[in-house]
Amino acid sequence: MKIKNHTRKVELNIDENLLEDIASIGIKHYPNEFGGFLIGEYSNNFKNLNITDFILPNSYKGSPYLFERSALGLEEKFENIFKEKGNYYIGEWHTHPSSSTKFSKTDLDAMINIANCETVTIKNPILLILSVSKTTLNHYTFYIYDDKKLTPYE
Amino acid sequence: MSLKKQEYLSNVLSTHRMSHVEELVNKFKAKRDEVKTTLQDKYGSDIYSPFDSGSFKKHTAINIKFDLDIVVPFKRNSFDTLEKMFDDLYEYLEAEFGDVAEVRKQKVSIGLLFKTDDDGDDVNLDVVPGREFNQDQYSEDRKLNLHLRNNTIFTSDSTYIQTNIQEQIEHINGKSDERMVIRLLKIWKHYNNEDFKSFLIELITIKAFKKDDISGNLWEKLEGVMNYIKENVIKEDFKLKDPGNSNNNVMDTLDNAERTNLSNRMETLIDRINNNAQNIKSYFPLNDDFEDEESSSEGYGIKIGSGIASTPPSTERFG
Ligand SMILES: [Zn+2]
Repeated sequence: MKIKNHTRKVELNIDENLLEDIASIGIKHYPNEFGGFLIGEYSNNFKNLNITDFILPNSYKGSPYLFERSALGLEEKFENIFKEKGNYYIGEWHTHPSSSTKFSKTDLDAMINIANCETVTIKNPILLILSVSKTTLNHYTFYIYDDKKLTPYE
Repeated sequence: MSLKKQEYLSNVLSTHRMSHVEELVNKFKAKRDEVKTTLQDKYGSDIYSPFDSGSFKKHTAINIKFDLDIVVPFKRNSFDTLEKMFDDLYEYLEAEFGDVAEVRKQKVSIGLLFKTDDDGDDVNLDVVPGREFNQDQYSEDRKLNLHLRNNTIFTSDSTYIQTNIQEQIEHINGKSDERMVIRLLKIWKHYNNEDFKSFLIELITIKAFKKDDISGNLWEKLEGVMNYIKENVIKEDFKLKDPGNSNNNVMDTLDNAERTNLSNRMETLIDRINNNAQNIKSYFPLNDDFEDEESSSEGYGIKIGSGIASTPPSTERFG
């Protein structure tokens, strides 16, 4: 599946099966929020991003309105992914149980931190928000971060 | 991801283009013209027209390091000795520009380091005095004797160099493939704090193109030149003739240890990049000052020099 972001004139690809896998893990944690890290590779001209995988946090706190994840203990994993496949940590995903895929102020603040973080070598991290119910994925939105703003892909 | 090395390298070159620093270059040019005019007023018929040299003139400049040089050809009868010529020029520049610039004696030139201006820019110029061999002979052959201070350039203990700077400029004229590789090697040199002379890089690259089959895309050309350097600088009989004077062997500026070191550097570079294309980014980084300018509106951005993994911040909270 291919979607576009017009503000930065970029494309994003994700395999539907991969997206389903992510969603089903999110649904399991209903009614609490849950999430993790996204892995991907850029095309040579940096106009396309292919999301290739996701990583779950070792530790996290989830409630119906809050999700806090830790990346501790995963550093080596991210480094190996880069060394072996040239894939990057490219962003984050989390669920909004029984709610829209609109990002919150907390979400935006987290993305600002991420983009400014020294160990993050990419400039435009991705945020995926999945609206889930007890049994299904209702809707999802991919956002791209740029200059303290998040804009959706269409 | 298989990083396309040639595309990446062409990006590296484009973020290091001089056009990104046009305003700064204009300041350099204005100062250069001012200095040239003063020199003509001061020395009148004792000199031929001063002319431009340096990496800017040779089109091998990169926007993180570039030189605008002025060569001042003195007539044979203007001074008894090269040292007197050098000192007279130094004293004049000091008197004329000493209050707005630091004027200092360098190896073959006099440096003018103008005080940082209101925009925070530092303009500096090198003025190279040279003297023709015999009266009126310069107009024929463009050959000059340069005064050489504290000679560490060549292994002989000469106090002057005979050369033809016009010929050196001519030597690189029109060689656009060579120039691209030279710029890349200068970028490598700059970010990796290597102290090989730019002139040496320039000559060896041109020679590689002449002697070896350097072809293919930008990466293949760069790799070819690096291979040539790796294999040849350790050969005892390997020479790099100064195009301005074939008696000057620029390889003499390196001792054996430095030759081996240069060869090893090239070997490591080639190996590491062929091992993992991502490594190219740490040797040849983009200039992030101008990366934004080019990519702020389009594409996914990568931070500078990041031949390293991307790892998330340890704790983040989402709502
Ligand atoms: Zn959220």
